[in-house]
Amino acid sequence: MTKDININVHHITRVEGHGNIVVNIKDGTIEKCEWQVPEAPRFFEAMVRGRRYDDIQTIVSRICGICSISHSLVATKAVEDALGLEVTEQTDLVRHLMHYSEQLQSHTLHVGYLAAPDLFGEKSVVPLVPKATEIVLKIVKAHRVANQMSAVLAGRITHPITLTPGGMTKVPTEQELRDLKATLEDCVPDLVDICKAVLSVAGNLPAFDRDTEYVSLKQTNPLYKRTLTEYSFYHGDITSTDCNGDGDMPVNKWESVANEYVVPQSTAKWCKWHRDSYFAGAIARYKNQREFLSPLAKEVEKMFGMTVDNVNPYMNNVCQLIEAAHVVEASLEIIDKLLTKGTKFEKVNVTPKAGRGYAAIEAPRGILFHAYEFDKNGECTWGNCCIPTNQNHANIQKDFEKLVPQFMGEGEDALRQKMEMLVRAYDPCISCSTHMLNVEFVK
Amino acid sequence: MKPIIVVGLGNPLMADEGIGVVLVEELSKLAAAGKLPTAGVEYYDGGCGGMYLLHTIADRKKAVLIDCCLMGTEPGTIRRFTPDDVASVKQMAHLSLHEVDILKVIELAKEIGSCPDEIVIFGIEPVAITQQLHLNEPLQSKIPDYIAAIETELLLTDNR
Repeated sequence: MTKDININVHHITRVEGHGNIVVNIKDGTIEKCEWQVPEAPRFFEAMVRGRRYDDIQTIVSRICGICSISHSLVATKAVEDALGLEVTEQTDLVRHLMHYSEQLQSHTLHVGYLAAPDLFGEKSVVPLVPKATEIVLKIVKAHRVANQMSAVLAGRITHPITLTPGGMTKVPTEQELRDLKATLEDCVPDLVDICKAVLSVAGNLPAFDRDTEYVSLKQTNPLYKRTLTEYSFYHGDITSTDCNGDGDMPVNKWESVANEYVVPQSTAKWCKWHRDSYFAGAIARYKNQREFLSPLAKEVEKMFGMTVDNVNPYMNNVCQLIEAAHVVEASLEIIDKLLTKGTKFEKVNVTPKAGRGYAAIEAPRGILFHAYEFDKNGECTWGNCCIPTNQNHANIQKDFEKLVPQFMGEGEDALRQKMEMLVRAYDPCISCSTHMLNVEFVK
Repeated sequence: MKPIIVVGLGNPLMADEGIGVVLVEELSKLAAAGKLPTAGVEYYDGGCGGMYLLHTIADRKKAVLIDCCLMGTEPGTIRRFTPDDVASVKQMAHLSLHEVDILKVIELAKEIGSCPDEIVIFGIEPVAITQQLHLNEPLQSKIPDYIAAIETELLLTDNR
């Protein structure tokens, strides 16, 4: 057995911020085992103060390039809650489609470009190309489909420009919807092949179990009962596996779910609800809403032998694949509904008023909370955002505390690999607000 | 799909990190006013799209990328280079997709055979990257110089 281990997966610039994995084991005794997030505080809430109610979704869409649709949607919902705005069924359906496009974008990208290389024994997707060319090209194609969907519905592949409080500035034409439908139907066999490829190496997912609380939305909107959108990413109350159907929270009480607090090892806030940590993300949504999955998603679930009793955090990646299949079928259902009704531009009239609004939405990497307050002129006086990654920090720490004693006997390299894979399994949103280049000239 | 794409990268919430987005907005306005070519050229706000941008640049004849870049030069310096001219010294923990920069996207585009025939990057050295909705000096007052440099590039580009 290895007596001394020193793991220090560290990032040096605070500008970008990263999660650090720090483990010190001396003479077989664990002296330190920490998930640290030394990220520079972002203070985006301060940036929205003094801005008009219809500027908010544009500003917060820049918090993250990967989850920008979710940030824009949840901000728009929170503004609508504050101003007492109702949206039409068409707006609700189009926003759902837009949101599904981001789930598909993010899940295919995360599983394909970040998790799959681990399972195939490569450091990143680039060296995976010659090793598994056909499957990487299918992942790239699925990613392209999701991008096309975002471009039509959000106006761009990231940082949407079609949302406005009370409605949409653009709705898809029927021809665009028919084209999207054909593209999505064409994508199904590729998705199945991607799942089969991941399944072929799924034995490399570490065998590690730790029971925890799983928090997600749960559908309450009657419009979506007995539809595939009953599996909610967008509407509903906040639930958890510890609620057992009793004690779900309305979204305007999200601060009492997140219970944000600070710890010495991290500049990012941590969260807890009924226990000392909880898990937000695909696995949480799956556990709380499994019965509403689409037929194809249930096929993927069966393929991997996934069950709601599974408490292996690495299976979050498998749940992302299950959800990728689900959102394709749920999108097709909504497209059919929109095509049946026909789409038309709907003018929005908003009268600003004072008020505070709350909203929750499921970003690809977990439940995302926003809240804003406005004065009578519609100027923002207060904002509060709580991202899923912050909600997962405490859970990652608790996983580390169980994982390190279990696997330290395998040596430093194997332990480091398992810890890095664990963090990747949570699909964390760190370092997302900047992607700048840092180069030295070689020519 | 237009053969040439000009992509502004970065985050305008993070001061000079957003220079690429600011410049592509200016370029789009000039193009709309007929002062820059629009035939065959698309101007695109890529924001912090990271790997999402793979398909935005893929299969183009030429991609002109504008980004904030730590190059070890004076703040405000603009430098034109190609991906082959540089080596990334960005330290990545590979823990999250969110840390991807455009050089990684180009690497994957090359590997899957979808890389543009020509890629030119305009890197601009920041003064500071922090939560701030405006650019720092001298970047703000150098915007006309940056536009002129990119305009020259486009005028020398065959956009057929």
